[in-house]
Amino acid sequence: MGLNNIKTAVINWFAYKPKMFGLLVFITLFSLFNYIAFQNYLINQEDKRVEMSNMLNAITQNIEQSLRNCYTTTLSLALTIDDNGVPKDFELIGQRLLESNNTIKAVQLVPNGVIKYVYPLEGNEAAIGLDVLHSELHKKEATKSIQTQKMFFAGPIELRQGGQGIVGRLPVYSGNKFWGFSCVILTLDKLLMTSGVNSLNTKNFSFQLSKNNPITLKEEFFLPKTVEINQNNAVSSYIPDGDWKLYIIDKNSNELWNQLLLKMVIAFLVAFNISYFTFLLFKKPNELKKLIQIQANKLMSTELKYKTIFEQAAIGIATVDGLEGNIIDVNDNFCKLLGFDRKELKGLSFKEITHPEDVESNIEFFEKIGNGAINSYNLEKRYLTKNGNVIWVNLMVKPLMVSDSNSEKLTLIALVEDITERKLNQELITTSQQRIESLINTIDGIVWECDAKTFEFSFISKKVESILGYTPEEWLASKTFWRDHIYHEDRERAINFCLDKTAQNLNHDFEYRMLAKDGRIVWLRDIVNVFRRENEPTRLRGIMINVTKTKEIEKNLNHSFGLVSQQNERLLNFSYIVSHNLRSHTSNITSLIELIESAENEAEREEMLTLLKSVSSSLNDTMLNLNEVVNIQTNISLNTQKINLYVYVEAALKVLSSQIESNGIEVNNLVNCDEEIEYNPAYIESILFNIISNAIRYCHKERKSIITIKCYLEEGSKVIEISDNGIGIDLKKNENKIFGLYKTFSDLGDSRGIGLYITKNQVNAMGGDIKVESEPNVGTTFKILVL
Amino acid sequence: MKKIPVWIIDDDPIFKIIAQKIIQRTENLETLATFSNGKEALNVFEKAIYENEDLPNVILLDIEMPIMDGWEFVHQIQPFETLLKEKKIKIFILSSSIAIEDKLRAESDTTISGYLTKPISLNDLETIVL
Repeated sequence: MGLNNIKTAVINWFAYKPKMFGLLVFITLFSLFNYIAFQNYLINQEDKRVEMSNMLNAITQNIEQSLRNCYTTTLSLALTIDDNGVPKDFELIGQRLLESNNTIKAVQLVPNGVIKYVYPLEGNEAAIGLDVLHSELHKKEATKSIQTQKMFFAGPIELRQGGQGIVGRLPVYSGNKFWGFSCVILTLDKLLMTSGVNSLNTKNFSFQLSKNNPITLKEEFFLPKTVEINQNNAVSSYIPDGDWKLYIIDKNSNELWNQLLLKMVIAFLVAFNISYFTFLLFKKPNELKKLIQIQANKLMSTELKYKTIFEQAAIGIATVDGLEGNIIDVNDNFCKLLGFDRKELKGLSFKEITHPEDVESNIEFFEKIGNGAINSYNLEKRYLTKNGNVIWVNLMVKPLMVSDSNSEKLTLIALVEDITERKLNQELITTSQQRIESLINTIDGIVWECDAKTFEFSFISKKVESILGYTPEEWLASKTFWRDHIYHEDRERAINFCLDKTAQNLNHDFEYRMLAKDGRIVWLRDIVNVFRRENEPTRLRGIMINVTKTKEIEKNLNHSFGLVSQQNERLLNFSYIVSHNLRSHTSNITSLIELIESAENEAEREEMLTLLKSVSSSLNDTMLNLNEVVNIQTNISLNTQKINLYVYVEAALKVLSSQIESNGIEVNNLVNCDEEIEYNPAYIESILFNIISNAIRYCHKERKSIITIKCYLEEGSKVIEISDNGIGIDLKKNENKIFGLYKTFSDLGDSRGIGLYITKNQVNAMGGDIKVESEPNVGTTFKILVL
Repeated sequence: MKKIPVWIIDDDPIFKIIAQKIIQRTENLETLATFSNGKEALNVFEKAIYENEDLPNVILLDIEMPIMDGWEFVHQIQPFETLLKEKKIKIFILSSSIAIEDKLRAESDTTISGYLTKPISLNDLETIVL
């Protein structure tokens, strides 16, 4: 039990301190890895040293063997010396010895230190006669072999005969007296070759040979130095016969150290990673634990809140059994709403407290939520209170989260808000709204509301149907209904006017035409009020009044006014003409009378009297003309009848036939034989006669004259066209005068200036109009519009 | 004393005779030529300038005439205004119109020297021309 406790404590300690634990793991692993790596390093180093020692031993032994052979050779050579100190058969023995020992380059006998015998002599002549005991170079080592009385190998030295050589000297004694030396000459290369140095792995190792210089006593190296020798990278052995030191040197001594370093780095990384993962692993439970704690706190506060809300909420709350609909719990407010106390309510079904008319719809929702078809429902319904009153509530029902997951029981929570007052107000509003609506709909105009920027309508009264034929639904279905149904000629003006006034925040009042559903054009007067928020126009409200009838009256009035003005103008003109014409005659009469009175002789008086008669006659003509004009203008109610136009044209041509013939004019009557117009017969006679006679009178004398008469429809009106190729009129100058009274445009004597004046008046009196197109020297065309 | 030459431009043939008779009776005037409309007079006027023929010092001009009325004649002769001054040619409207508009129009036109209404008397002519 105690052990378990300690274990738990330790685990907890680690769980709470994941960083510390991670650090511990790191230190442990790193130390362990480093220890292993270092041990590995030591072992490898030892292995290498052993390998090197073995190699060195083999080489040393080989060299020593060669030296021993040399010793045998020198000894054999020494034995040739006879008692007199003279060698016997030196040449022969020398040859044999060289043959038997191939490391030897030459043999010498050196009696008393002076080289006397050499085999082979060839190539070694230079050595003869050298006194080694007195030569600076050889003295010391030669003396050493005498002192030790043992064979000693001098060198390697520069040989007199050339090349690097080793001289092995064996001191020879005859009796007890020093005779001299028996010598062998070896080349260093050969010695090394036989030693097996060449088979050495030169990639990893190198070989070195050294000796303490007998003169300077300093160590000298005989092979090219590739690597610096130190205690750590080399093994050595000593050969006393030549006072030589042999070295095997490790070329890659740093390699192991580098490997060790690399391993340490890897160890660091591995240890770090493992410890980091450990840290993460141990951190998680701690975090989760904290999270749980936070959640638990939240849950506790939520629970508390729920309880507080349930009890103290301003609305009624009840929990209801989802199967039967029985009340499980209620809050104070719920009790207060219904006038029951809590005990009475618990166990009651919601159906028992619901108004009978609302039970059915409520059950429907209740069942739907029960079988999961809906997630919640909202219902405005009535409850019956304990004392039988009806209250209106807004009921919101949702399933309650069930804490006991094993239970299949569904509990519902119902939130109940008392809306009795609102309902009553709503009823009042509805009634008043209905009243307003019926009021609006009885107004003899279309009441409307729209957005101030887009003109999208949000309301239009039913009157629109009787005025324009569209239903309010049709109108409101399109955002641009109003814009789209303004009569095209008025659209731009109406919209721009409305936009402009709205932008200036001004209420406005304007008139335009709309297209009704049946294609009629309806004149509307639109009285618009601008509603604004923060001085920005937001909504427009107004009333459209059908002013089509007024407009028609106005149009007629305008027309009448136009007619009256025209008539008045004509009358003024007429009176002016009358006054002018009468005055010109009367002034002539006055002047003539004066002249007659003061006449100097009878002849003159006679002359004046003749003139006076002529004036009198002109005056009479003028009076007749004026009478003719007055007749038209006073003839207000004219009788019209259907007349055959072709017949009348032919009749006019018949009257004028003598003039047509005498002028050689070609006349084309292109009017249909059955063309009929509604006209005053006297007027059409006069009109045709006047225009055709004008065409004859003003015909071009220098060409074949043609007069054409036709009748056709133009823009719904009948047009009688009479054209000629006569002398024409300059209309630019005379446009306003052509139909004026007493206006003549030619110097032809019989121009009276009254025909066209009368014609125009007759055409106008029939409600039509007359137009003229003309060009001097080309011809003239008159168009008579028949209404 | 040399008599002042006068042009009569009027479409009324009877008036032309009457005017000539009256001019005959004056002491200082004589009829140089008569015309039935402005156009005729203008043609002769232009021809007289180029061919250096006799020009009148007084033009009696009617308003209402066919082809070219009095106003149009005044308008057409306006380019010669300096010449008119140089040659001392005065234009008088002589009309039967007593409309005030015509009188005002004549007075506002610098080319026109006076406005006379028909019937004219001997006295009128003699005094105005002076």
